[in-house]
Amino acid sequence: MKKYNLIVALGLTLFFQVVHAQITVNLALNSRPQHWLSQWENPINGQMIITYMRGPVQGEAQVKLRTTLFAEGDNIIGASNINASRIYTLKEGVNLFTMAEALQLQNLVLSGKALTTLQRTGRLAAGQYQLKVEVVNVSGDVVLARQTHPFFITSYQLPKLMVPADGAQLDALVAQSLIIFRWTGLVPNTAELPTYRVQVFEILPGQTPMQAFRGNFPILDEPALRGTTQYIWRTSLPMLDETANQKFIWTVQTLDMEGHPIPTNDMNIKGRSEPSVFNIINQMGAGKKDKMNED
Amino acid sequence: MNHLKQTAVIIILLLVFQANAQEKKYAFSIKGDMGIWYEGYGLDKNPSPAVPDFYTARKPWNLVRYSFNPTFSVGKWEIPMNFNFSPMITNFITPAGSKQSVWQFLTNPANNFGLRPKIGTTEFLLGTQTLKYSDLSTGDIGVFGYGVNLSPGKFRIKLFKGVSQSAVNYEAPTLPNPAGVIGAYQRNQWMAQLGLEKEGSYFTSFNFVKSVDKQNSVTLPPLSPIDPQENMVVTFLTTANSENGWKYHIELGQSFHTRNLNTPLSSVPVEDFKPFINAHTSSSKDNAVLLAIAKKGQDWEIGTKFKYFGAGYFTAGYPFMTNDLIDYLIDARFNAWKKKINVVASIGERFGNLSLTSGPDKTKQIIANVNVFTQFSDRLSLNMSFNNFGYDAPDLSGYKSVSNELSVNPSYTWSNTKMSHLISATYTKSTYDETIIFVTTHNNTQTALLLYVPTFFDKKISPDFSLMWFKNSAPSIDLSLFTASSGLKWKVNQKFNLKGQLQYNQTTMKPFTANKNLLATAGYEWEIYKKLSWQFSMTANVFKFGTELPGNSLIPVYSGNPQYFETTMRTGLRYKF
Repeated sequence: MKKYNLIVALGLTLFFQVVHAQITVNLALNSRPQHWLSQWENPINGQMIITYMRGPVQGEAQVKLRTTLFAEGDNIIGASNINASRIYTLKEGVNLFTMAEALQLQNLVLSGKALTTLQRTGRLAAGQYQLKVEVVNVSGDVVLARQTHPFFITSYQLPKLMVPADGAQLDALVAQSLIIFRWTGLVPNTAELPTYRVQVFEILPGQTPMQAFRGNFPILDEPALRGTTQYIWRTSLPMLDETANQKFIWTVQTLDMEGHPIPTNDMNIKGRSEPSVFNIINQMGAGKKDKMNED
Repeated sequence: MNHLKQTAVIIILLLVFQANAQEKKYAFSIKGDMGIWYEGYGLDKNPSPAVPDFYTARKPWNLVRYSFNPTFSVGKWEIPMNFNFSPMITNFITPAGSKQSVWQFLTNPANNFGLRPKIGTTEFLLGTQTLKYSDLSTGDIGVFGYGVNLSPGKFRIKLFKGVSQSAVNYEAPTLPNPAGVIGAYQRNQWMAQLGLEKEGSYFTSFNFVKSVDKQNSVTLPPLSPIDPQENMVVTFLTTANSENGWKYHIELGQSFHTRNLNTPLSSVPVEDFKPFINAHTSSSKDNAVLLAIAKKGQDWEIGTKFKYFGAGYFTAGYPFMTNDLIDYLIDARFNAWKKKINVVASIGERFGNLSLTSGPDKTKQIIANVNVFTQFSDRLSLNMSFNNFGYDAPDLSGYKSVSNELSVNPSYTWSNTKMSHLISATYTKSTYDETIIFVTTHNNTQTALLLYVPTFFDKKISPDFSLMWFKNSAPSIDLSLFTASSGLKWKVNQKFNLKGQLQYNQTTMKPFTANKNLLATAGYEWEIYKKLSWQFSMTANVFKFGTELPGNSLIPVYSGNPQYFETTMRTGLRYKF
């Protein structure tokens, strides 16, 4: 008896597959995609696969995508405008789409804080989200397939330089042996500790600090102990010599586990924090005299 | 071709200006200076080669720089020039190809070729200029191009167009350059300032800065994530000073930034900023505010600053600017006790991650400094300073750091008819507590410094002696350093000064034996003629590792202690006009 049931079930399945076209959607979305939504075209964010199996009596294979974005708690924060959605003609078999096509950023209507944050930063606030993509007919009233996929999004804030502070004056007698550098950590923390490279550039005679920073070879380019935010530079430089080593500009470059710079607004800066300048004071007391003279 | 056009415009303007100067036969004068500066670097390691490479060169082997900074005066014309350049490629942060074209040489950020002919209220800007319009628009980047500053009456009009980043083709990693060249698009920058000014009283202006990465500037474009960008900033700035010592500063800015010009044109998420920018899907728009107020009295000054930079505020005029923050700072300075005490103090707080794009909470940073200098008598003075930095990022894993530093520095001088003596001591204690993933580490340092400087009234030599001790204690770190140094200056005659310094360092990282380091520097300053001077300095640095770097840990195995010998020679000729 069981055999007959199985044969009947298989027969029915085959019948419906033959009579109707079959569309399935699979969101192979990276669980931690790039935080700038405009970057979702990059393959690192994953891809959407729509499989189309033609049936003998099915109609045209033209579809639209309806995208919905949920924040935590299944709150809808954005949905695509189905009337303005692009019409896709599916070919039989596997159809590949980028995650940007799944997201439809150009056609996404966000609301509330999500809209403000996206307009101001091109990103979403850090947190857990869900992306739902529905494949619908051209008029948008029949859902042919759907899938929802969760993802987590966060961006990083580069360290801020603490010591020496911008414009600090260091005593040459100490600085010619060592200088201590401190900075704040990468925010938020990462499970895999980042690498901080301390980079120091001498500002040569006649140069502006930024000219030295952008044009010179660094006198120090060393990693701090992984994850730590302090580096003691044993300088061994003649800083009492008034012709050299009088002014420096420094920064910290933050790299992830794979050695890639942490992304920022301008990728040309390659994960480098806003630099600070420090000066070497050649004689003890010189700085104090200046202060009194100013008054 | 565009490069050639721009260079041609500059040259034509120069020639026109020179022709004008010659025709009028005005009185001619020149002041300023010019010079050449050379640094040679040498490094010998023993053993060499070794794996791992235990010490890498920290300077280019040879570096020469030229400077030419005269100001020509021809009749009513003033023409200051600022040429400061090197024919060598030393770029590290900005990309540079293995060879540079003339255009890349001119626009290389390491070089400066600027001149600013001025007549009356008109100033022409040619070549490299670092123009500071305001804190929120542009200020610290050198731009190569041309422009004009006009200041008729109270009006201030500034216009400039140039290149702030030269185009560099992508080069794949190959030998002899295994890192390759990441490449960069040429960044064109337009700037304008329209303002009103009454000197010493007020200044108000609108500032405009637009930058575009020129996509066809490279034949081999940089690989992602270096994408062509477009940026536009508009700011409104007002500063004012009152007669009774008040100072006001306000600036409001809005930036419009497209991170990648290859993304599709779109009115989502932001609309076009017409007529300047067409929006793409990677465009964003944000604001910034700067406010400051200060009051200055006879013996005191107090001021406060407030800063808000939105998370999407970005200007190509300050590409390294930190955003997504609010901070305020109060600073004060005053004299007391018949001007014998001078106090400088500041306290401020900064909140970051306002957009919550980097976690569920805002970050908090506290900065407090106070410095008190007291001149007790002609002989005795005391300087004390205290700094506190605190940073708190209360996200899920929690990061926190607190740094406290106290420094005490008494100085005592005494003298007789033949000589004076200065003895100065400094003691600094610094604590740095850092919490990462709920684990707190305590990192303490102490520094003690003793300095003695005798000054002979009837001799031409000036020696100085110093001793320094430093200790750093942290989990798995017990580092101590001892330094003894002595310097000598000898004024041989009115035109020739000799100087030298010897420094011995001993650094011990327990449980290893000490690293030893001897640093010797000698040099002179020679006024060859009244207008020509020559500086020369030679430094030798011998460093011998202790058991911190055992020779048998290297490949090939080395039986002794590894060491290196580093030399730096600097020399410069300077001619004053």
